[in-house]
Parts: sequence; C-alpha cells; structure tokens
Amino acid sequence: MLEAGLCKYVVLSYGHNALSSDSMRRMLLERNADDAVFGHFGAVAGYALAARRAMHTFRTGPETWKQIAVGQRKWANLNPAATLYDRPMTFEDYYDARWIVEPFRLFDTCLMTDGGRAMIITSTERARDLRHPPALIMGVGQYNPSCDVHQATHLTGPTGAKKAGEMALRMAGITLNDIDAYEIYDCFTYTVEITLQDYGFFGPGECEDWLKNGTMEPGGRVPVNTSGGQLSEAYYMGLTPLSEAAMQLMGRCGNRQLGPATKTKSPNIILCSDNGGILQTHSCIVLRRS
Amino acid sequence: MSEYHKPIPNINGDSKEFWMGCKAHELRFQKCKACGHVRWPASFICPMCYSKETEWVVSRGKGKVYTFVVYHVAYDPGFESDLPYVVADVELVEGPRLMTNIVGCRPDELRCEMLVEVTWEDITEEFSLPKFKPCS
Repeated sequence: MLEAGLCKYVVLSYGHNALSSDSMRRMLLERNADDAVFGHFGAVAGYALAARRAMHTFRTGPETWKQIAVGQRKWANLNPAATLYDRPMTFEDYYDARWIVEPFRLFDTCLMTDGGRAMIITSTERARDLRHPPALIMGVGQYNPSCDVHQATHLTGPTGAKKAGEMALRMAGITLNDIDAYEIYDCFTYTVEITLQDYGFFGPGECEDWLKNGTMEPGGRVPVNTSGGQLSEAYYMGLTPLSEAAMQLMGRCGNRQLGPATKTKSPNIILCSDNGGILQTHSCIVLRRS
Repeated sequence: MSEYHKPIPNINGDSKEFWMGCKAHELRFQKCKACGHVRWPASFICPMCYSKETEWVVSRGKGKVYTFVVYHVAYDPGFESDLPYVVADVELVEGPRLMTNIVGCRPDELRCEMLVEVTWEDITEEFSLPKFKPCS
C-alpha cells in the first residue's frame, strides 16, 4: 500500500480486554465442530496435542520447556512493562505450578492481557526525519499448513516456520548467522521450540542441549523473546514479538536493551515470528537497524 | 436415561450418516470411490483427489493413539466431575484420525501408539459417542 502510494502511513494495532472480559475465552472455547462433545476446547489443548506427539517423536518435554519459561521470565524481570516483571521464577516454580492441560503446566501457557500495542509503518524516506531511528523491514515470509490439528501431520515439524523462514531470509538476502536476536511467537513454550527447530537452529530433540547455560537469556549467545514475550510480558498476538524487535533495533529498551546493558551483541538484525490456529499459519519477518 | 449436561453433536448434512452410525454402534466413514481414501471429517468432496463419488464404509473400530492430552481444567462445567480426563487423537486402521476420549486406562499409563478399540457410550436417546479403550 505504501509502495503503491495508496497511503502514507499504516497503523498496525491490537487491543483487547482479554483478562477482564470473557471475550477471549469465548473465542477460544467456542465449540470447535464436534470436538466439544468429547470435552476438547481451545488452544491450550490443541498445542498440547502437538507437544505430546513431539515428546513421542523426538526427545522433548518439560526439561526443555522449563528453560524457555524461565529464560523468558529473566527477560521480563528487566522489563517494567511486563506483567510478571517483579516475579522471578526458578525451575522448581515451573514444576510446582499446576497442570492446565497435560503436558502443559501453568507457565507453559501465555498470559491473558488487558492492553494493546500499535506500530506505524511508513516509507523509509518519510521515516528518515522522524524522532527515532526506524526499524526497517528486510524480509517477510508466510506459509500456512492449514490442516486442522486432528488430521495434521505437521505437529512435530516441519510447521509453516520452515518455509516461511526460508522465504523471509531469501528476501532479506541473509542467513541465520546474520541474525542477532529472535522474537518468537510464544503462545506456549513448545511453540518456541518447534519454531526455532524449523528455522534450523537444531535438530529434533536437540533444543534442551541448545538452551543449556542460558543461550536465550540475558547475557546469552542467542537472545530470544527479550521483553518476556507472551509467556511473561503480555499477550498482544503478533505485536508482542514484532513491537519488541522494532523497539530493540531503535535502542529504546532500557534495562533489557540488547548490547552492553545485557551483555549481548548490539542488534543489527532481528527475526520475528507469528503463528495462527494450532500451528496452522506462520509468518516470519526480518527487521534491521537503519 | 438421566439428564445429560455436556455438549451434544451438531448434526449437519455431511456428518448425519456418521452420527446415525454411532447410534447403531457403527463407526462409519466416507471412502472415495475414485482413489480409495477414507476421510474424516465428512465432506462432499475427497480432499485427496477432489472426486465427489463416495461410499460409506464401516470401520473395524481399531486403531492407535496418535497423540493425547490430559485435561486438568474443565472449560465446560459439564466435564468438571470427569477431571482429570483424556482427549486423544486416535488413528484408525482405515486411516482417518478421530478426536475422542480414552476410557478404561489411567492417564499416566497412556502412551502414543498404544493400541485401542472403540467402546460406545449411549448419552441420550438420539446419540451414542465413540470412545476408545486399550485393546483387550
């Protein structure tokens, strides 16, 4: 729209009173065909079905997911805007939390949030004389396996992340090695694992080892979900990861800013992901510093 | 039969034959006359070859657990007294996978690929639900 000159600015926004109203619950729990007859509702159980199959197909489970939950919480503890900013979490806390839909415990699942977020997209020319240096879009990719969870064969990968990621990197003209941080759609811990796996970071079942010693945490080699993400900051659909990537590239992240403040590499390029349905749609967006 | 407090099937033109079959304790699926693909959910066109030529076949009611979850939260009050309960995606030997419940097995003893067979639960005058239990 911008390139065609149809408009000068696009506002990308999301707002919801998901916590204080029942609208998110209603949307998620509305009977899904006849699955409700068997007591099957919503997104937690849908992703839990995928995660359970992954536990069977390759070696994963709570030992892997606890590292994602705790790692993201450490980022949230640096982010005063995060819902769980003042709530440190240990591996014991992760295991002590109640089951929601097994194999997911409470901290495997994202937050429900009252709030919103907006981003403004404009031309690079117009952005040049704005107050903050902009983040630039380098590449985008989308791939949608679509198939409903009960017949899906992509639950343990490759999900849409594989092709969407390849598309976005090709458009950007870079490889994974060029990326400094990742903002991954994290409705559930397993979503982070399967997305990174499909992007090509590690083979099936290797996530637990890959995460060891704080790979994704403040001070880590590959920072992931630096705001705390949907698990620990706030759930604004795809805008949780996307807005954080832009803010990091603009250098506006305070105590959690990538670079010397968090003993990480100063970011030039950040990759973001977004998911829809039960791993049914996937978008990948690569942003860079101007 | 006592009052039933859980959701009941939404019958439509595609699924009517399936639920009528359940009433007769038969698992009926559509089989494509052109390519032989057995499909679920019911639809007027084959998702593999797009043929509209279809016949209904009766499943042997045996399969294996593709994946499963254990609910510890009742999202519908009707399921509260069942907690914790199992929802599973069962892959039938004929091919289709069916979202269902596993009964007669402790949740912590359930495994993916476990062999299971259909068992019927008559819930109302009109409806019977196909649930699955470990093969005897």
